[in-house]
Amino acid sequence: MSYLDYSLTEVLALLNQGKVTSEQLVNECFERIEETKDLNALNSTYYDEAIKRAREIDSARKQGDKLGILAGVPIVLKDNINYVGTKTTCASKFLENFVSPYTATCAQKLHDAGAVVIGKANMDEFAMGSSNENSAFGAVKNPVDPTRVPGGSSGGSACTVAAKQCFASLGTDTGGSIREPSSFCGVVGIKPTYGRVSRYGVVAFASSLDQVGAITRTVEDNALMLNVLAGRDEMDMTSADIEVPDYTANLNKGVKGLKIGVAKQFYSDELCDDVKNSLNKVLEWYKSEGAELVEIDLPSLDTALAVYYILSSAEAASNLARFDGVKYGRRAEEYSDVVDLYFKSRTQGFGKEVKRRIMLGNYVLSSGYYDAFYRKAKRVQKVIRNEFVSAFEKCDVLISPTTATPAFKLGEKSNDHVAMYLSDIFTVPVNIAGVPSLSVPCGTSSEGLPIGMQIIGKHFDEATLYQVANAYELAHKEGQ
Amino acid sequence: MSEYNTVIGLEVHSELNTKTKCFCGCKNEFGSNPNTHTCPVCTAMPGALPVLNRDAVERAILMGLAVGCRINNYSVFERKNYFYPDLSKAYQISQLEYPLCVGGGIEIEVDGKKKFIRLNRIHLEEDAGKLIHSNAGTLVDYNRGGVPLIEIVSEPDMSSAEEAVAYLQKLRSTLLYVGVSDCKMQEGSIRFDVNISVNKDGEPLGTRTELKNLNSFRAVLKAIKYEANRQIEELEAGRAIVQETRRWDDEKGRTYSMRSKEDSQDYRYFPDPDLIPLDVKPEYIDTIRARLPKLAPQRIEEYKSWGLTEQDAKLLTDEREYADFFEAVLKEFNEPKFVCNWITAEVFKKLNAIEDEEKKIPVNPSELASMLKLYKDGEINQAGARKIFDILWEKGGNPVQLVEELGLKQMNDTGALKEILQKIVADNPKAVKELQEGNEKTMAFFVGQAMRATQGKANPKMVADIVKELIK
Amino acid sequence: MSITIDDVKKLAKLSRLEFSEEETAEFVKELTATLEQVDAINKVDVSNVDLLESTVDADTQLRKDEIKPSLTAEEIVANAPDSQDGAFLVPITVAEE
Repeated sequence: MSYLDYSLTEVLALLNQGKVTSEQLVNECFERIEETKDLNALNSTYYDEAIKRAREIDSARKQGDKLGILAGVPIVLKDNINYVGTKTTCASKFLENFVSPYTATCAQKLHDAGAVVIGKANMDEFAMGSSNENSAFGAVKNPVDPTRVPGGSSGGSACTVAAKQCFASLGTDTGGSIREPSSFCGVVGIKPTYGRVSRYGVVAFASSLDQVGAITRTVEDNALMLNVLAGRDEMDMTSADIEVPDYTANLNKGVKGLKIGVAKQFYSDELCDDVKNSLNKVLEWYKSEGAELVEIDLPSLDTALAVYYILSSAEAASNLARFDGVKYGRRAEEYSDVVDLYFKSRTQGFGKEVKRRIMLGNYVLSSGYYDAFYRKAKRVQKVIRNEFVSAFEKCDVLISPTTATPAFKLGEKSNDHVAMYLSDIFTVPVNIAGVPSLSVPCGTSSEGLPIGMQIIGKHFDEATLYQVANAYELAHKEGQ
Repeated sequence: MSEYNTVIGLEVHSELNTKTKCFCGCKNEFGSNPNTHTCPVCTAMPGALPVLNRDAVERAILMGLAVGCRINNYSVFERKNYFYPDLSKAYQISQLEYPLCVGGGIEIEVDGKKKFIRLNRIHLEEDAGKLIHSNAGTLVDYNRGGVPLIEIVSEPDMSSAEEAVAYLQKLRSTLLYVGVSDCKMQEGSIRFDVNISVNKDGEPLGTRTELKNLNSFRAVLKAIKYEANRQIEELEAGRAIVQETRRWDDEKGRTYSMRSKEDSQDYRYFPDPDLIPLDVKPEYIDTIRARLPKLAPQRIEEYKSWGLTEQDAKLLTDEREYADFFEAVLKEFNEPKFVCNWITAEVFKKLNAIEDEEKKIPVNPSELASMLKLYKDGEINQAGARKIFDILWEKGGNPVQLVEELGLKQMNDTGALKEILQKIVADNPKAVKELQEGNEKTMAFFVGQAMRATQGKANPKMVADIVKELIK
Repeated sequence: MSITIDDVKKLAKLSRLEFSEEETAEFVKELTATLEQVDAINKVDVSNVDLLESTVDADTQLRKDEIKPSLTAEEIVANAPDSQDGAFLVPITVAEE
């Protein structure tokens, strides 16, 4: 058994017991990265820096220094998270050579907790996509079945954890970008409550929906990561000034007496049989453990995707306007004047999907259409949010499939952006409502592909998500 | 062509004098080397986020309160999207639907006629960076990028260039009183946009043009006069006015078309999702109001209670700097009338000789207080006082020492003066006769002679008394 | 809601993006399809929804006006495609604003 087969929590214990060094772990991770490089999970790695830091932590540990709670554990950041001195490309040609002059708060928190950042994960360009096929640096492959997509946009982040290249990674989730790939790759991924984790230093896609979250191999690992990441940041006005509980506190408590909401809108005809069966089994199991199943109605759920495309594209069009070829990133070789420089640099630097969203975003914001699209969508967003808030007056969590199907084939949907957009149909409403949601593996399809369920909670009640997921995970550990 | 009315509205951009920028902790300072006061936020590095400066909000509210605005309890920052190299994010954070302050207004006086100019709003936004043109191309410096600005938008209530300038002077004076902006026109910390149209009585408002980025009162005056005439000539020639932005060329003294509004940009305003809307509670507004400094009207009342005339009180409060200076002198020499007379006569005379529109009193108030005390006590006479004042104005100094060094101590010695005057009276029988006949003006001759004999040190009042006595 | 070629051209200009004739035609189709899809928002009754959002308290929750260290001009222009003496360099720009 390799050390890479341990969970983050387990390997931390081994580190603290002196049974393994951080340097050994880093070396094993890099060996694995080399063996599995065809997955194309990582855009960059920092072996020398990682080893240096691992040795520092190892020697500090030997001397009995007080260490952070993640001390010595190799982790990976999504390639849209700034970490000073490293490239942050957002998997875009535009930022191919951009070197971060500063560090994102979430990366700083991991660093301060002693984590060893070993690389950055591939992704859909600027986090726009659901299959990780929109990367300027090539598609990422699903480690379970390399002919399939790993999901997106945090495809690299999910892949690298599933392929055991590291013990945890950070992703970002605007409409499902952590949960969908986590589900496709058979790992655990959280989209925290909007405002729970600082967005400072994370390249924005849609500012009002983006959240940073961890991808791990176990629920417990994930709770530990959120303990480090969560909290108010004075550099992000949208980060919430709400106390951070210990997210591991509710683990091993079971689900007896908890109310689990089941909304029919999440169990529509789009579900494939394998997913439907898995979820039915999940719900039965919870019931057998003493949880109460409660029927919930979310009548506006099916409009969430429309709201999402309007709001996220509008914000993206504005957020991505700073990529103009003046200050950093790509500048076209030839241009006639500064306006032409903008046109050429952006046209050459951005991929198709990014352009598509910018165009849509500018359409819904443009004079004459703003009220009908953007303002209307903001109102519908409020309706959806209120529906979730009312639902949580009747239940503690909602459980739904993360995706309607397991991972699809590479190339299968890449020419049909509407079909691709539908991959996010169950995950998007969560971002629209701003609530937290955790995707957890819950079985495999007849083809052996991972299936995930998402557990959705009240605003800032991630602790209950971990409690519910952990109960299931403990009971099904061997079965997988 | 006098049957045309001119309709003028003004937008004033004034940088706030906070320590840091509006959305990041970089220093708000003019004139440093390019990009030395910049960070990921104000240079729009990927992933950086704005965090609103509380003092910028307070200063905007202070100004709003000073001009009678209603302060909105709910206020939203929006993105104004357009591409330009001086705008790092390719959007400016501004306010549109829910500005901080609405309504209010200020009273102006032109040719003795008072007029109330209504304000539409005051909102908070950020300044853009600076473009410097060089041989190699355009250099982009974001030191100014993100500096907080308030935009003060008037209603189109002004009907002449003179009224517009009076409004701007009053507004600038108020900004300085409130102390929220340095209003340095030459550094561009206050800038003016003029909206102007002409129409005939009883007809609807004409099509307006906008003159952007004027930075002196003189330019505003000349530009409005030029543009109103141009519009009238266009109409008289049967041509329509094009709604457009025009640039004022100060050297050539004319306006030029910049771009037509039909081709104008679609700014795609929407609420900035990085900045949560502001809740400005009434109690908070009250605490800000309590900190509002004394403005001109209050000071005028106060000065009148000290025995100053209304006219003098108004002159002294025209600019906060004058009023502050006056009060600073009084702190060390509490003779309001005496100090006022010196300032309105001697200080203003020197100020008027300065060409610049931004006039500063270079004199240290305690030095002036010390000099005026010597003057009032008769230690020096007016000529001596003026001599010392010249020095205080030029380079400053200690008046007591200056009196010694320059030998300006007034001759108050009755015996010595009498001796000198006896000789003068004896030498000028004709003048004596005139004085005896009641020609009071001849006294000036004796005072002059006495001054000449004493190198200007004679106490003129004593000279007059002695002469009267001698010729009895 | 249908989109015309002119709409797409106007949007491309607003977006500072260039497209071939072929791409423009494709965008007409795609945007039209997307707009049909997002038309779903009109199914929801929003007549009773006010848009006022959550707020921050201006008195207590804003940043204090305290200077924080800036980066150096060298760090700021380190990623610049072109720069001179700490300033970003672009082709000569004629006043537009």
